[in-house]
Amino acid sequence: MNMQQVVFPKSSANGFGRQRGDREVGARLENKMQLGKSNQGRIQTTGALAAGKTVGNESFSRDRLVYLTTCLIGHPVEVHVKSGSIYTGIFHATDAENDFGIILKMARLIKDGTLCGYKSTTEFVSKAPSKILIIPDKELVQIIAKDVAVTRDGFASDPQNEKYQEILIDSAISQSRHVEVERELEPWVPDEDDLQCPELENIFDGPWNRNWDQFETNQKLFGVKSTFNEELYTTKLERGPQTRELEKEAMRIAREIEGEDTQDLHLAEERGVDLHDDFDIDEEMRYSSVYRGRGVDDSGYEDEDILLDSHNIETFGDSYDSLSRSADGVRMPSSSSLVDDAPSSQAAISEDLNCSRPNDQARQLASELPSKSFSVSASESRIRDKLLGEHGGSSDGNEFPEKQSVSEKPSSSGKLSEGPASSKATDEMHSASSHGPPDSSTSSNSDCVGTVSASGGFGLSPSSSMGSLSSEKSTLNPHAKEFKLNPNAKSFTPSQTPVRPISPVSDGSFYYQTQMSPLPHMHMPVSFGIGPSFPGHQPVIFNPQVAPIQSPQAYFHPNGPQYGQQMVLGQRQVVYCQPEMQYKGRDY
Amino acid sequence: MEGEEFAVGCFLSIKTTLGDEFEGQIISFDRLSNILVLQEGLESGPRRNIRLLKANHIKEFSLLRQDEDPLDVKKCFLDLTSLQAREDSAIRQAEADSERLGVGVTSEAQTLFDALSKTLPVRWDKTVIVVMNEVRVSSPYLPESVSGGTPAANERVRKVLEFERKRMQTRGTSQ
Repeated sequence: MNMQQVVFPKSSANGFGRQRGDREVGARLENKMQLGKSNQGRIQTTGALAAGKTVGNESFSRDRLVYLTTCLIGHPVEVHVKSGSIYTGIFHATDAENDFGIILKMARLIKDGTLCGYKSTTEFVSKAPSKILIIPDKELVQIIAKDVAVTRDGFASDPQNEKYQEILIDSAISQSRHVEVERELEPWVPDEDDLQCPELENIFDGPWNRNWDQFETNQKLFGVKSTFNEELYTTKLERGPQTRELEKEAMRIAREIEGEDTQDLHLAEERGVDLHDDFDIDEEMRYSSVYRGRGVDDSGYEDEDILLDSHNIETFGDSYDSLSRSADGVRMPSSSSLVDDAPSSQAAISEDLNCSRPNDQARQLASELPSKSFSVSASESRIRDKLLGEHGGSSDGNEFPEKQSVSEKPSSSGKLSEGPASSKATDEMHSASSHGPPDSSTSSNSDCVGTVSASGGFGLSPSSSMGSLSSEKSTLNPHAKEFKLNPNAKSFTPSQTPVRPISPVSDGSFYYQTQMSPLPHMHMPVSFGIGPSFPGHQPVIFNPQVAPIQSPQAYFHPNGPQYGQQMVLGQRQVVYCQPEMQYKGRDY
Repeated sequence: MEGEEFAVGCFLSIKTTLGDEFEGQIISFDRLSNILVLQEGLESGPRRNIRLLKANHIKEFSLLRQDEDPLDVKKCFLDLTSLQAREDSAIRQAEADSERLGVGVTSEAQTLFDALSKTLPVRWDKTVIVVMNEVRVSSPYLPESVSGGTPAANERVRKVLEFERKRMQTRGTSQ
């Protein structure tokens, strides 16, 4: 039988008639399905079903058939027809009322029965997909559908459901219909150990041993003249009379740092220490930068805290708990450059003494007694002696010089009263002794010292780093007057050009304040709404009451896009904050 | 009469008039339309392979065993809207796919087209593969059949074609 006659692909050029027919069929099917649906589980007949037949059994099976064919809607199916041809397409509808002829959409012929199957499949020629294909019942042999969701769970977990959403995931888009047989992957193994390999490992090991100059080599091989100047990229190293000492100091510090105990896998590897040899640690653990919670190096964090706190202390002249931790592993740096800190530390002690935090106080006291150099001012030694005297431990005296920590209490010079200070110290010391760790000796000094040794090590980074912080890198003025907010101060009116370049304040990040409130020392301004995160350090404050901002652009980073309209106007005022210390332009 | 043997739940082994052979479990048999609904595979999971077979095309069959109803009626559920949505999206997908499929081309040609399309923009022009809108590869899709385009593009398409053919050979296409 000629397939062409009966099953003809529908093109849009065809007349209406067929389409209407389809719709009818569709509509009818819908009706049936709805009825079928409501009849789930019940053996019932409805008038719309098989005309006239009301036998329970038959409608039961008919129900099922209808149900299952409905399940197929939208599903890709394969239809075998009488001639042996096979079509594949999307199941659209079936003529449930009559004889269950079916309609497929986007159907393709994948096997042509009329060719008697002699042609090999590789030569099979594809045909255009037909938009709608009607297969009458007479031709139908079987319909095959795979992975049909038949029950509720099936529908719920239907992966096709996800496809129905308009969001296309990458793998869906890039999915190749044709599964490739890829090569079997093998891990790379180096062939013979090339000459280069060992060199690679060692070449940077000893910079002082390096006898290979890349620039020279380049010049020789390729005639390329290098214009490399190291100082362009790094701080110029001052080579003066102090060079040797500084170098020695630097080496010492380096040795200390590198010699530290570490639990961090990466650090250990760098230093050649083999940690966790017995553990099952694969390459990922070793070399990945993903933090997995193993081998956390606590000492690192402490260093950070100490640095931060010392910084804070310099700024605010407060005493912080964490400094007591600095007692850990503290040593006395002998650098001469730290001498000038003596007076400030002295001041700091007094400051501390005046604070009213007993426990920490005592510990801090002991730990913070300056040890930078022995050229300590008289008052300092007096205090120290007094403390020593209180506890009468000569052993303490011996221990002391070694175990004193560096204190970074510079900024405040305030009240230097030693008399009450020392007595207070005494009290604090006493109270501290009761809090000390069990293994320490009676004096609180030793307590603190005990703490020091207990917490592992004079390994040291804190003092050296702190020392360096205070002496070389600190840009904060240790002699500056302590800041006190003066609410009656004249407000600052900015000029057209900013006094200093505005640090990366992104345009969105304006901090609005409706009225000037006495701002705390802190960096956190009131901000709401707009814009991304607070730039963090160094925002600028100015008093909004003075005048509305005449030219908002002035406060932008000159390179940033201008959002003039967004800013400002009327009530809203821009507030920038800045640590007062640095802002020299104020008149208070 | 066939009715008794086509009871729900029976496992049958069937041979069709077209030469298909398979086994399945009866879900339903509708005498009126003469359609036997079978489920292939043993699991009664949520997703199954369903076969609708016209009973008059059964050449022979045999009853393997009798089991209970594979379809749990209580779990049956239909959501027409999602079905419709599924159909729509499938149609859209198929339409997009049809762009890729050559009409009147062998499956080997189609494979080559697909391989080229992985790295190059390709489209069909009747039975000619058009690469980057300049290079044309016509039947029989050999490196010699590559024409057009700049020498560089031409060369590139040739190389890809050669490589792809080699790959097909080693894989042993059984399409």
